[in-house]
Amino acid sequence: MNEPEKKVLPGWLWAVLALAVVAVVLFLFFTDRRPEPGPALRYDLSEYEAVDESLIRYAEMQRIPVALEAPCGLAVTADGRLVVVGDKVLLILDASGKELSRREWEFQPRCVAAAADGTIYLGVADGVAALPEPEGAPVFWEPLDEKSLLTSLAVNEQYVYAADAGNARVLQYDRSGRLLREFGGPNDRENTRRFIVPSPCFDIAFDSMGSLWIVNPGKLGIENYREDGSLLSAWYQPGMGLEGFAGCCNPAHIAFKSGNVLVTIEKGLNRVKTFAADRSFAGVVAAPEAIQAGWSDAADGHAPAPIRDLAVDGNDRILALHGPLQCILVFEALAPQKEME
Amino acid sequence: MSLEKKPGRRAFIRAAAAASLGGGVWLAATPSAETTVWQIDPSKCVQCGQCATNCVMNPSAVKCVHATRICGYCDLCSGFLQPGSPKLDTGAENELCPTAAIKRSFVEDPYFAYKIDEELCVGCAKCVKGCGKFGNGSLYLQIKRDLCQNCNECAIARQCPAQAIHRVPLSRAYFIKEAGAEENQAQ
Ligand code: SF4
Ligand code: SF4
Ligand code: SF4
Repeated sequence: MNEPEKKVLPGWLWAVLALAVVAVVLFLFFTDRRPEPGPALRYDLSEYEAVDESLIRYAEMQRIPVALEAPCGLAVTADGRLVVVGDKVLLILDASGKELSRREWEFQPRCVAAAADGTIYLGVADGVAALPEPEGAPVFWEPLDEKSLLTSLAVNEQYVYAADAGNARVLQYDRSGRLLREFGGPNDRENTRRFIVPSPCFDIAFDSMGSLWIVNPGKLGIENYREDGSLLSAWYQPGMGLEGFAGCCNPAHIAFKSGNVLVTIEKGLNRVKTFAADRSFAGVVAAPEAIQAGWSDAADGHAPAPIRDLAVDGNDRILALHGPLQCILVFEALAPQKEME
Repeated sequence: MSLEKKPGRRAFIRAAAAASLGGGVWLAATPSAETTVWQIDPSKCVQCGQCATNCVMNPSAVKCVHATRICGYCDLCSGFLQPGSPKLDTGAENELCPTAAIKRSFVEDPYFAYKIDEELCVGCAKCVKGCGKFGNGSLYLQIKRDLCQNCNECAIARQCPAQAIHRVPLSRAYFIKEAGAEENQAQ
């Protein structure tokens, strides 16, 4: 005769136990997070990104919208109009930002300069193009080699200078487009490695006395040249602090205010600063926090630096072309005389 | 008594051997899905540091790789030097890498070459972040196939905030970083 089967645990208890096991497994699965990497494994720039309020000597007065997908070059004409290039477009705005003219082409200008006589010069894929009349046809100068990458132009009464990051050289042309001289690069007889240009951050500008300054990004400073290509002076300032330039490609852009006050923009630490004529640190125009406000890719390590170009207008206002925000940030000094001292 | 013959042990072994042999031949003849391995897409990685702490291997199977073709050979290498390092040299106090896995050597003034010692690298991405922030972004992370256990579910992929870790066919080359990151993107 069969003995009646003895149940050790009732069925419902088995069900509860099974549910508990499933719950524990799920809990362990979804909460299995290892601790965040400790400070030794973290790259932290916050100490350098923080700027003491008292050192900010400028206020943002205006944002001029720029109707371009990817603005990349900015210049100011002698009569105060703003010239912006980007996409395959050239925009001319009045000082308040009203659009005066819009030209669209098949080619893509990367950088721009405006001469006192109104001629606009464009840095394009294979060289320089001159635009004697804003509405006229561009005149393309002798094409450069494939490696060339023009990142900045500067023009005075006699010459047009073009910074070629691809060949780490600056080309000097006369105003008709005849190539006169090369500073640095393979054809510089004195020093082919004059400029160290690891990335396409290679800017040039005239100071308020009309003297040419060229950024030497690998040396984290700027160099002053005579028109015959000889070096007049150099100023290098490596360092992460406010008085210096960090990384390998800074200052990314330069411009000059009256009194030879130097304005710089950096990549990596997105800040705008000024230096007095003796190159002592004068103050901060905009801290990283201000430059990065509203920029959705600020935390993306792959995103290019937001400020794409820099200029100073006839009223000594600093104009920073913000690519992602598609606008020109206009800064005015709170106490203009201070940085001249 | 039943007249039916029970299959003996020998017959059973023979049948099993024939079945496995046949199965093997069938498997070899049938085109099967290729083995896949885990790989980081450098264009997506945001250098969060989890690769160092989440891999089941210790130290991590993720290592830093250097794309020398896009390196600037900079003296002030932001992948090699600590932010605000007092000097531009190989002094321990100046080095950014917590395990001193990056080796710097002089090429010619003012250029320096950088090499990763894989045995020391823990895949923390600190140098990758520094290089990307100021430099050309020539340093990047990759899962090394000789070290990776090819876990069913990669413990890092589960935590990766950028969904940068994918399975790719074994025959596919490593995602490398060259001039344009776009061309190396994972599908
Ligand atoms: S977990 Fe993802 S984002 Fe973080 S370091 Fe690794 S691959 Fe990059
Ligand atoms: S900083 Fe981190 S990822 Fe870079 S080499 Fe050192 S251990 Fe490797
Ligand atoms: S698959 Fe496993 S061993 Fe390979 S990287 Fe991921 S966690 Fe590490």
